[in-house]
Amino acid sequence: MRMISCVSPLTSGSLRVFGLDTAKSMREIKQRLGVVPQEANLDDQLPVEENLTVYARFFNIPSNIALVRAKEQLDFMELTEKRKAKVSELSGGMRRRLLISRAMMNEPELLILDEPTTGLDPQARHLVWDKLFELKKRGVTQIVTTHYMDEAQQLCERIAIMDQGRIIDEGAPQDLIQKHIGREVLEMRVSETMRTQILALSSPIVKGFDSYRDLLVLYTDEAERVLEKIKRGDINADYTLVRRSSLEDVFLKLTGRRLTE
Amino acid sequence: MNPFKPFSFSPRQAFRVWQREVSVYKYVYKSTIVSNLMDPLVYLVALGFGLGAFVSRIQGMPYIQFIAPGLISSSIMSAATFETTINTFVRIHFDRVYEAMMATPVTVEDIVVGEIMWAMTRSTIYATVMLGVVTALGLTHSWYAIFVPLLGALGGMMFAILGLTYTSLLKSIDQVNFYFTLFITPLFLFSGVFYPIDALPAIVKTIAFLSPLYHLVEIIRPLVIGKIGFGVVGHLVWIIVFILIFAAVPVNLLRKQLVK
Repeated sequence: MRMISCVSPLTSGSLRVFGLDTAKSMREIKQRLGVVPQEANLDDQLPVEENLTVYARFFNIPSNIALVRAKEQLDFMELTEKRKAKVSELSGGMRRRLLISRAMMNEPELLILDEPTTGLDPQARHLVWDKLFELKKRGVTQIVTTHYMDEAQQLCERIAIMDQGRIIDEGAPQDLIQKHIGREVLEMRVSETMRTQILALSSPIVKGFDSYRDLLVLYTDEAERVLEKIKRGDINADYTLVRRSSLEDVFLKLTGRRLTE
Repeated sequence: MNPFKPFSFSPRQAFRVWQREVSVYKYVYKSTIVSNLMDPLVYLVALGFGLGAFVSRIQGMPYIQFIAPGLISSSIMSAATFETTINTFVRIHFDRVYEAMMATPVTVEDIVVGEIMWAMTRSTIYATVMLGVVTALGLTHSWYAIFVPLLGALGGMMFAILGLTYTSLLKSIDQVNFYFTLFITPLFLFSGVFYPIDALPAIVKTIAFLSPLYHLVEIIRPLVIGKIGFGVVGHLVWIIVFILIFAAVPVNLLRKQLVK
């Protein structure tokens, strides 16, 4: 992310953004980018609206145009009431929205967002999603990094799953789910001895499985049928759950369930 | 990656950095001007009138007349120093203002030049206000004093380069104090602000010659009292050479802090 936004030097290789070399054309690239960092680095010494207009000056946007855009952005992000407020008076969700507004001041061709809703309460998250979705409809291309798979599923058309700095797989969310998991998931907590039994019983209609301690997760297109089969096999589980598969299942399957840190 | 890659500097972007500081200053100037100028004024009044009552003439002038130009010089030093130590540290580490700037078409070079320009602006403002006070007290005796604001800018540049260099090396805000106790305070006391350095032992006198403030004082005092000799040119050259030698240092140090 930092390399794409031309703030970190490349570790190796070469990188082109908008067809321009990041090592040579960083000013031109940055002029056309919008960057929303994970941690709010708003200007605490300036009120909300001036955060936008002062930022716009770095892009050499004339002040009358900057003022119009700032008003539009604050209106769009529902921050108009706060335009004279200090940054320190804003809630976490408001700060995040202001960061996005700020990144939109130069009307970027590409918006880069680093974990845009991390640390926000559910209402604030949904508002941010709503706004990002709206921007997407207006044709603003976005690159989002996130640990929240529901966020990725909601916002993104194409997803690259990364682990230890490498892309493990990429594609549309639904395609990835269908490819790796199937339609449904059956979760249960059983002892290890029963596990082999269950797998033998269900193998023909299960696409794959995953286990961590006493948790067994079966990936399938027909979870209810699998469950029935297992029950007929006279197996008791402490906990069973049938649910729709999600991107989180794909992520866990591909990157493993253990903590990597 | 070589951090010492070719400089990428744009005067317009540096001006944008300077403008940001002006925008912030609009909200704080009232409190900072008063608090920052109180310091030299207290010295001027307390020592000028208080100690002055016991001190006979120095170099043929009353004591308050002697220290007034010195205190104009030290206000230049403290304006540029505060700006480039504490304020810059906050911009790097706490408010992360520079981080935000670097996501826009602004480079480290632009930031350093913009900040030096801003520190020069502040020291020029302080030099001018102090000159006004000194003049109001009837202690300005020459039209040459109109060059004092220019020396505010030049001296501001010198102390801004020094301050930025130091701040770029810091990891914790506590370390800022060392700069004041080990560098700024000794400069303040041993640079001919309060007494001629001829009074000092030979070794200290030699060290005083290395003091940037000493050379600034030795230019500003003649301008204010109107006794200008060739010595002034020597001190001016000293300051310019100093600036030329150290000008590129803070960019390279700050790049290490900001480019990760």
